[in-house]
Order: sequence, then C-alpha cells, then structure tokens
Amino acid sequence: MSAQSRARSLLVAGLVLGGGLVGCGGDQSALDPESGQSRAIADLWWWMLIAATIVFLGAVGLLLLAWVRRGSEGFPFFGKSERVSVGLVLTFGIFIPIVSLIALFVVANLSVAEGTDAPEKGSTSMTVEVVARQWFWEVHYPGTGAVTANEIHIPARTRVNLVAKTDDVIHSFWVPRLNRKIDMIPGRTNRILLDADRPGRYRGQCAEFCGLQHAHMGFVVFADPPGRFRAWLAGQERDRRAPTTPERKRGERVFLDEACSGCHTIRGTSAAGRVGPDLTHVASRTTLAGNTIPNDGRYLRQWVLDPQHVKPGNKMPALDLSKAEARDLLDYLESLR
Amino acid sequence: MNGVTRSSEATSAIAAAYAERRRRAMPSGVWGVALLVATEAALFGTVLASYYYLRFDAARWPPAGIEPPDVALPLALTGALVLTSVPVLLATVAARRAQVGSARGLLLLALLVQAGYLAVQILLFKRDLGVFSPRDTAYGSIYFTLLGLHHLHVVVGLLLELGLLVKLLGGLTNYRVIGVRAVAIYWYFVNFMAVLVVLTQLSPSL
Amino acid sequence: MATVATPAAQRHLDRLERIWAEREGLTGWLTTTDHKRIGLLYLFASLAFFAAGGVEALLIRTQLLVPNAGVLSPDAYNEVFTMHGVTMVFLFVIPISIGAFGNYLVPLMIGARDMAFPRMNALSFWLFLGSGLFMYVGLFLGNGPDAGWFDYVPLASKQFTPSSGIDFYALGLIFNGVSTTAASINFIVTIFKLRAPGMSLNRMPLFCYAFLAVSFALVFALPPLTAALSFLELDRRLGFHFYDVASGGDPLLWQHLFWIFGHPEVYIIILPAFGIATSIIPTFVRRKMVAFPLVALAEILVAFIGFGVWAHHMFAVGLATITTIYFAAASLIIVIPSGIQLFAWITTIFTGTPRFKTPLLFILGFIVFFIMGGLTGIMFAAIPFDQQTTDTYFVVAHFHFVIFGAAVFPILGGFYYWFPKVTGRMYHEGVGKLSFWLTFAGTAVTFFPMHIVGLLGMPRRQYTYPPDLGWSFLNFLESIGSYVLGAGLVLIVANLAVSLLRGERVGNDPWGGDTLEWSATSPPPAYNYPVIPRVTSPYAMWDRDDRQADARRLERGELTLERGHETPASTVLDAEWDEILEMPSHSWMPVLLAAALAAVFTMLLLGHWVTAGAFSAVAALVLFGWHMQEPQEA
Repeated sequence: MSAQSRARSLLVAGLVLGGGLVGCGGDQSALDPESGQSRAIADLWWWMLIAATIVFLGAVGLLLLAWVRRGSEGFPFFGKSERVSVGLVLTFGIFIPIVSLIALFVVANLSVAEGTDAPEKGSTSMTVEVVARQWFWEVHYPGTGAVTANEIHIPARTRVNLVAKTDDVIHSFWVPRLNRKIDMIPGRTNRILLDADRPGRYRGQCAEFCGLQHAHMGFVVFADPPGRFRAWLAGQERDRRAPTTPERKRGERVFLDEACSGCHTIRGTSAAGRVGPDLTHVASRTTLAGNTIPNDGRYLRQWVLDPQHVKPGNKMPALDLSKAEARDLLDYLESLR
Repeated sequence: MNGVTRSSEATSAIAAAYAERRRRAMPSGVWGVALLVATEAALFGTVLASYYYLRFDAARWPPAGIEPPDVALPLALTGALVLTSVPVLLATVAARRAQVGSARGLLLLALLVQAGYLAVQILLFKRDLGVFSPRDTAYGSIYFTLLGLHHLHVVVGLLLELGLLVKLLGGLTNYRVIGVRAVAIYWYFVNFMAVLVVLTQLSPSL
Repeated sequence: MATVATPAAQRHLDRLERIWAEREGLTGWLTTTDHKRIGLLYLFASLAFFAAGGVEALLIRTQLLVPNAGVLSPDAYNEVFTMHGVTMVFLFVIPISIGAFGNYLVPLMIGARDMAFPRMNALSFWLFLGSGLFMYVGLFLGNGPDAGWFDYVPLASKQFTPSSGIDFYALGLIFNGVSTTAASINFIVTIFKLRAPGMSLNRMPLFCYAFLAVSFALVFALPPLTAALSFLELDRRLGFHFYDVASGGDPLLWQHLFWIFGHPEVYIIILPAFGIATSIIPTFVRRKMVAFPLVALAEILVAFIGFGVWAHHMFAVGLATITTIYFAAASLIIVIPSGIQLFAWITTIFTGTPRFKTPLLFILGFIVFFIMGGLTGIMFAAIPFDQQTTDTYFVVAHFHFVIFGAAVFPILGGFYYWFPKVTGRMYHEGVGKLSFWLTFAGTAVTFFPMHIVGLLGMPRRQYTYPPDLGWSFLNFLESIGSYVLGAGLVLIVANLAVSLLRGERVGNDPWGGDTLEWSATSPPPAYNYPVIPRVTSPYAMWDRDDRQADARRLERGELTLERGHETPASTVLDAEWDEILEMPSHSWMPVLLAAALAAVFTMLLLGHWVTAGAFSAVAALVLFGWHMQEPQEA
C-alpha cells in the first residue's frame, strides 16, 4: 500500500468508524491490495464509502434536526409549503440518485470491471489450472507435469491466467489481495487474472459454501521473483525424491501398502490415487489440510494420525499404524521436498 | 337500499341470473380463480423457460439416441382440447341465463372430450416412457416433467367439472353460477397452456 | 365518537354481536374464520418461530465468539445456520407481516368485516403452521437441512447430501408456498372487492397499497421456487437430471430459478414494513404523508422492478459480461422508488410536529438502518466490488441491515402501535423506549462490524475462523451485540406481556390515528364496524364529518348490514357498491384440508408414493365438501 493511500484509508477509517476498525491490513484483506485489479476495487470502495457517509450523515442529520425542531411545522424559511416538500422528494429521491448512480455505473461497471473480468485470450504469459475438490485445491501447471495442492506459486509482476474448475460441488477461488473471487462450477471453466505487484505471500479461501469443511478450505499464493519461481516449478515437475535411508524406504512401503495410495498420488511410485491431494512434494509446502495447520513435524503427525481431529468430516480416515510404522511414514513424508 | 342485491339469497336459477345481470364487477370467486391461473401460469412459464434453458445449453437436443417426437397426434389432440373451450364458454352463457339443463349438458360434453384427450395422452406418455427415460438425460427429465405437469392440471380440471356437475344436479344458485364461471376460466387457461406445452414438446421436430 | 351507545344504536350492536358471535374454547379457535383471530394465531406461531430463529442466531454467534469455540460441531453449525435463514424468512418475517399484521389490519383499514375468503384465510394459517412443524421435525430428528437457506446444487443433490434434511427443506417449502399463495390471492381479492363503498383506490391507505403490491409479487415469485424445489426433489428421489452436468443438466439452473424467486422475496419482505411505516408516521407527526401518490406508486414499482434483477446474486459465477452489466444496471434502478419513499418519510417527519413515542422511535431506527443497508446495496451494483465482497460478511451485514434493521423494526414498532387497538390496554412507554434503545444498539453492534470483517476477508458460512487474520475482536464484538439485541427483544415481549395484564385501559383512539381501525372499539368487535363507514380520503379518521355521519347512520339503522354475516362488495377502481356478500363463519374444513395436505407431504418425504396419492384423494374430497356449504346455508 502506498504511503498516500495508507494515510487516506486510515483517515477515513478513523473518521467513519470511530476507532472500531482494527487496521485495514491482514493476510486476506481486500483493503490491502497487492495487484492493480485489487487496488482498483479497493479505491472504488473508498470513494463509495465517502459518498455513502455523506448521504448517511445528511439523512441522519435531517432526522436529528427534526427532533430539534419538533415543536414547529414546515421548513425554516419556507414554512408549510407542500411544493417544497414534494420538490425535496423529487430532488433527493429521483434526480440526485439518477446522476450519482449513472456515475457509479460508468466508473465501476465500464471502467474498473474491464480489469477484473476474465483476461482476454493471449493477454497472459502463463496458465495455472486449479481444480477445487471437497476440501482442498488441486493445482496444475499445464505444459509441465507439475501437480501440487493448496499452495500456488506464480511469478511476480506477470499476468497469469488462472483457470478455475471443479468436479464435485460449487466452490469459489478467492485471493482478496490479488483479485475478486470467481466461482468454480461443475461443467464450466472460469478464468481470472492473477498479477501480483511484487513478491509476497497471499492468503486465499474458498468463498462458496461447499459442505462440512468449507471453513478450512484455504490456500496460499506465493508470488516469487521469476528465477525462484522457475526453480520451484522445476522442482515440482520432478518425481519424488527417492528414499535413501532404511526408515524412509520402510515409510514408503507403509504408504504403498496402507490405504494412503488409494487416495493420494506420489509420482515416481505406484501410488496414483485421485481422491486426496498429490503428495509428491508435500514437504515443500508451508501449510497442510487446506492452509489449516502449519507444515511442521508436530502438525504433520497430528494430521496423518488423527485427521478427524484436525478437520472433522474430511475424507481421510484414521490409520491403524504401529508406532514404528507411523514414525517411518512421517519421516518419509517429511523427506518429500 | 341502493338497489344492491344480497346475492347469496339467489338460490334459484332465475334469481341467480338476475343477480348476475345486476352485478357490475367480477365477483370475488372469479377474481380468485383468475389469480390462481396467474400463479399457475407463472409455474408453467418457469418450467417452459427451464426447457429452453436446458436446450440452449445442450449440443444436441434431443441427445443422441432419442428420436425427435412425432408431431401429428399430439397436435390433433391439442386441437381437440382447445375446441372444448367452446362448450365450456357456452356453459357459462347458459348458466348466466338460468338454463340449467344446457349448462349441465355442455359441461358434460366438454368433460367427455377432455377425458378422452387425457386417456390418449396417458397412453402416449407411457409409450414414450418405454422408449426413453427421465432418469437418463436432462431432456427426458424436462420432457416428462413438463407433460406431467400439464396432464395433472387436466386431471384437476376434470375433477372440478365433475364436482360442478354434481352440484348442478341440485339446480343453479348464485354460488354455482360463479362456480361455472370460475371453472371455465380454469379451463381456458389449461387449454391455452396445452398449446404452449405441445409446441415446446414438439419443438425439436418443428 | 360516542363511547356510550344510545338505545337505538345498542339494538343494532346487540344484533350484530349475536350474528357474529365467535365460538368459545379450543373448537372455536380450530374452526375460526375471523380475520382478527387468524391474525392472532399467525402472530403467536410466527413469534414462536422467531424465538427458534433467534436461538439459532445466538448459537451461531456464540460459536463465533472466539476462534475454535467448539460450541457446535461443523455439521450442527451447518444445520443451525440453514434453519436460521429458513426460519427467519419463511416462518417468521413473511407470516408475521402478511399473516398477522395484514390479516388483522387490512379488513379494518378498508372498512370491511372480513377477508374475501375467510375459510381460505384459516387454511393459510394451518398450512403455514404445518409447514413450519414439518421442517422442524426434520431438525429435531437430527436431519435438519444443512446446505444453506439457498441450498445450492450440486451440494444439495443426493450424491453430496444423501441425508433427508434437504427433502424436509424442499417439501416443507413447497408446502409453505401453498399457504402464502393462498394468502396472497386472498389479500388481492379483499383489497380489490371488499373496500367500503366510496373508498376508491386513491382513497385507500398506503398500508393497503403495500399489501396489494406484496401480494401480487408473491403470486408471481413463488412459482419459480416451487419449480426449483420440485426439480430438486425429482433429481434426488426419482433420479432425474435437471441439475447434474453429466446428463445434460446445469447447476446454474437452480441458481437462476432460486434467485428469480429470491430477489423479489426480499422486496416482499420489506414492503409490509414500508406499509407499517406509512401508517405510523402520519399519526405521530400529525401530518399527512408528503407526495402520497408518488409513495403509492413507488411501493408498487419496488415490487415490479424486483423481478428484473435476480442475477446480481450471481456476479461471481462467470456469466457473460453483457448479462452481468444488464443486471447491475437494473439493480441500480430500484434505488429510485426506494429513495422516493425514504425522502417522503423524512420530509413528512421534518415538516410535521413529531411526538417521539416508542412506535415512532422504531420507525426512525428503521429509516437509519434502511439507509445503511440501502447504501451497501448500491455498492453491490458495482460489479467488481460485488465480486470482491459477495459471500463474505460484508453481504451478511448488508442483508441483516435491510432484513432485520429495515424489515423487522417497523414490525416491532407496529407491535407497540397497534397493541392498544388489539388489547384495549396501553404498554409502558418508559420501558418501550428502553427496549427500543437496547434493540437499536444491539442491532448496530452486531451487524455493523460485519462490514469490516468481510472486507478483511472473512467468508460467510464458516463454523470457525483462524485467530491470526484480525477477525477475532470484531467477531467477539458482534457476538456481544447479539446478546444485547436478544435482551432488547426479550424486553419488548416482556413489556407487552405485562401490559397485557396490567396496562392502563384505553379507548378507541389513544394516538389520534389516521386510518379507519381507530374508529372501532379496542379491541374491535367480531363484526368490526356496525355500519358501512363513509370514506372520502385516505385519512379516514381525520375526516370528522365522515365519522359523525357514521354515528348518525348507526342511530338510524342505515347500512348496518345485519341480516346475516354480511359485508359489502364494491367495484375495483371506484368502489361503487355492487352487492352484499354473505360470509362463512366457523368451519372444520380448513383444518381438515391442512391435515390432509400435511399427510400428503409427509408421505412424499417418506417415499410412500401411493399413500401420498391416497391422501391427495382425501384432500380433494375435503375440498369438495368445503364447497358443498354455500353462503346461504351459513
């Protein structure tokens, strides 16, 4: 946020909200834009807020004045003129609204909307395809073999064509700091533009009620410097790091023999399940369970061994593993960078 | 008292006809049925709109494997149904003129033709079900639902006429004259909808 | 108006008392066709559902008081927020507006003795009660609907929600729709045909204009919902394919059909509130409404334009740009009739001499919240802004300001305003004012922060939220607000309940009201008016000459219509007297028909198709029996 717009937003927030606003920032805040599209929407919001505040205070002011003048009839100066009354109704009820609404319509729907609509074909440099599933995000990079989940990387300052699809119920892809939301509907392919101003980490969440764990269907978008992005993508394209230690080899055996491989894919092994996320590079991700818990040893252990406690109702069953099997499996999973 | 009638006291055909003549505005019962027709028309409108919505979504309509419907028999049947509006209209005229016998006869005539229509339509419906199913495609779903909705309205119309005929066995009263007018409006609506429904049903073949 | 009748007048009053006597006891209430009794039945049933919806709201807010509160499990939460929406929209706000306020007041305001179809009026109530109980049985069996009040497919399809909660929802709402449709038809015919001779359309109170508009809107808005729900049930129970993509269906068909109903529905929710506001304002500011014809026209236009804007609920779906632009433009147009009414009310209040009693306070609260909700509504017509904030708490804030702040506040004010008329007693004014301030503050504190937390990225319909996104304090505040709001509402009920028993007794017209109902006794007798009232303006009570003419008519026994259960019927536009109607009185048919239909819906729910058909036949027989009794036999 530029210094000028930050100052303005703080000023307006303070004026209007009397200190109630707990800062405009936040990882998922629409008022902390990091792209041209989100900034246009945020600016539109601030102008609309100013206009709305003026109208609201004006109307409330009239009512307060009515209380002050409750002993007298009619208007000050004009007296009991029915014509002035009707004139007021026509002016403030018809004429002024018509003018302001036309202005709003032109600015918002003809100007700003051009940027937030689906990007024109050929106007973007790359494509990322996201398939929403109950309750995680499957991420593909068409033209490469890279498949990951819940964590999207894009190069900063690049127009990215984000393709939004689903095969189960309706979801909605929403990264407020980068753009508006776009629904994912079975049978339809929607597209949205992601164009981050600078490298950073942006939180997103499913924004269409999709069942039991809609609340925990989050994801993260990393905008990387181009070099770092290319390295990341190359890493994601590769098959899994083959296990080198005995523990990890045993861990891979556990994975393939237990129910895991029925739902998950690890490229480079025979595990090709499609029910849950691709785990080929699971240890490279910063979060787990749809951005519900951080991806560290303790949380990974909890997620794998007692998934219904972390995200009740999700489709991963609790496994019946011995302590040794669990230790080896977790060791293996943590090695899948 | 201003020459205003107590219409409920009109318990003979002649008195009812007199009350009808003196009345300047549509009676409440007729307004009620008119509004019922409006809401049912909105329902049909919605189902018809859904048909076209699903159709424009589809690459092929009907989908592969289903033949477009035959045109001749449904159109003929609908023509017959629409023509029953004539005896129904004449029945209302007769009722308003205290001609109980004519009213009964005309309603009975209409009922018999309409029942015949329904019988043949049910046979066609069952025949179609043997060829393609509403459980296979959206086309089947909307096709059978649209037709089923229409046939249900015909059944209701027949029951209304039946009830009316039973009441007319006891002669005409103000209440029953309004009843004839109300049932007539319902049937004009059903017949009008029949045209829209059959044209939609047959649209892939037209 | 004489409070002690002369002997001549008394003879007529006694005769009317005898003819219109209501039966006592439970039987009397089960068989009543009197619009006032039916209005009270609706009132108590809707208040019970309001309490249920309120408890659901408090459960939601308590679950969201802090992150990971653990008060409700995810599936319980989903059932609670779904039922909260369904209850408040279908089982509270519509029935109380139309069934309670409309039923009780419209015949009184137009100078009639009952609604056009008294038995169908009773039927509407029993169907409403049945549909509400039907849906709640599902909830109590642990099978409540849980896919949200707008129940999108494919989530609500059999594949993704196999449990029967959705079937309770779909069948329950179809059942509920029959009740509301019947009520709407009744209001239209009543307002068209049963106005007192002389009350031409331009002399009808604005309250009645609002109810006429709302009834027409319902007649056309409910069928798309019925179709959508029927398609859903056919998909779920019989394996049809309206909504599934694999077989040529389309999930968006549900959204279009639902919102073609759903958008008019929100104007349907607010229109009766407009009607109540336009009754309370003139009385308490002692001035006629500014620009009366414009306000009447605006009320009708709101209902009409509301049908053309539905896809503004679908801006994030990916519709064609031209489609989205059309719907945004149409949505902006609705602002005009709302603005006309708003400024008419404000100007009337400003140029009158207001008495700030509790009913007027609630109307002022209504105006403030309506402006706030209306302004955020306008913001949603800015498509990119909508696409950023739809499905977030910003929209939850918006619709609660308009549905609760704007639609419910006039209802609360209306309780206070008409309490003396219905009960013959006055409520406690001091407690009334306190209840207003508590409710107003509670509403503001609960819903205003939702704008902020929505802009900070909090989506709606989530059972908990992470502690590190800056949402925690605001959620906490909102939940505290909801407890304050609850306390305010409880105080209103307590005030009225205690005043019912111990309030000061009042006469016909404690407020100096402007409409006809204030000329009747408090409470009105079963026959409402002993003579057909003479009406020459929409402010019938302020035309003293006309009211004195009524008194003279009573003396002379003119236009008392005391040969039976009689009320006049007039022509639609100019209300020229056309005939005298004999109205039905007590009947068992409405309750019986409602029971038969409840059985049909229950059998459909259970999948017993043949038995459902059998009960339909029973219903048809009851309907035939209903029409066996003709007015002259009453």
